[in-house]
Amino acid sequence: MLRQLGDYDGTFSMLEELRRRMDRMWQDWDADEPGFSTQLSSSQAWPRVNVFDTGTALVLKADIPGVSEKDLQISINQGALSMSGERKSDAPQGYAVHRQERGVVNFSRAFALPVPVDTDKTTATIKDGVLTVTLAKAPEAQPRKIGVVAR
Amino acid sequence: METRPKMTKYEERSPERVQQRTTVAPRVDVYENANELLLLCDVPGATQESVSIQLDKGLLTIEANRKDEPTGSSLVAEYRPSDYARVFSVPQGIDAAKIDAHLSGGVLRLRLPKSEALKPRRIEVRSQ
Repeated sequence: MLRQLGDYDGTFSMLEELRRRMDRMWQDWDADEPGFSTQLSSSQAWPRVNVFDTGTALVLKADIPGVSEKDLQISINQGALSMSGERKSDAPQGYAVHRQERGVVNFSRAFALPVPVDTDKTTATIKDGVLTVTLAKAPEAQPRKIGVVAR
Repeated sequence: METRPKMTKYEERSPERVQQRTTVAPRVDVYENANELLLLCDVPGATQESVSIQLDKGLLTIEANRKDEPTGSSLVAEYRPSDYARVFSVPQGIDAAKIDAHLSGGVLRLRLPKSEALKPRRIEVRSQ
């Protein structure tokens, strides 16, 4: 009996390898579609964002050098966070241009929020050209400790 | 089945290692008029103390460090906050003592005034 099983080993290890390869394929697939879904393909979008889950809040960070608070609009509507704005030209008058890598950008991005958020406790700040949006999670989405009772 | 990539941080696994910091070249505009060269440079996240600018042997080096951000678990990671470094060669006639740098909203403005010898000069023609 044991010996018979042993004969199957080769087949099983082959199946195991197949399963592993399939898993890897799905992993690559999943990587393109994170839970916090974005509208545009992330390689082309401006500004680039990082989003962290700190437990009680979602924190979004984006590099937006040269964008002033007046030129930036952020709104939350039905579980979607959208931000749009404009980076104006700061090219000086009367100068010859040698190199221009920093462009004028009109941008608009939207994100589906994975959890309900408390819009009243949401804050957005710009410091040193970095935007930080802090979205407090709604009370029902806050992490909760469940006490274990021993009987 | 494993649905999530392993999230263990490198630093947590080996806390005593020397960490290499990533560096990117910041985006730069260069303008010139009769009196000066003007550099505009995007360095989001850099603070006044973290920027260092150096002019040595005709090489202008701009460097800025960025603090590591406190993080929770990452949901979206489209960029990695990195340090900035970029080197330009500038003409000899720049008056190094009068270079002026100003940082505001993540944009560095660097004025490199030309020395008198390099400025255009109007020569009067005399007739006798």
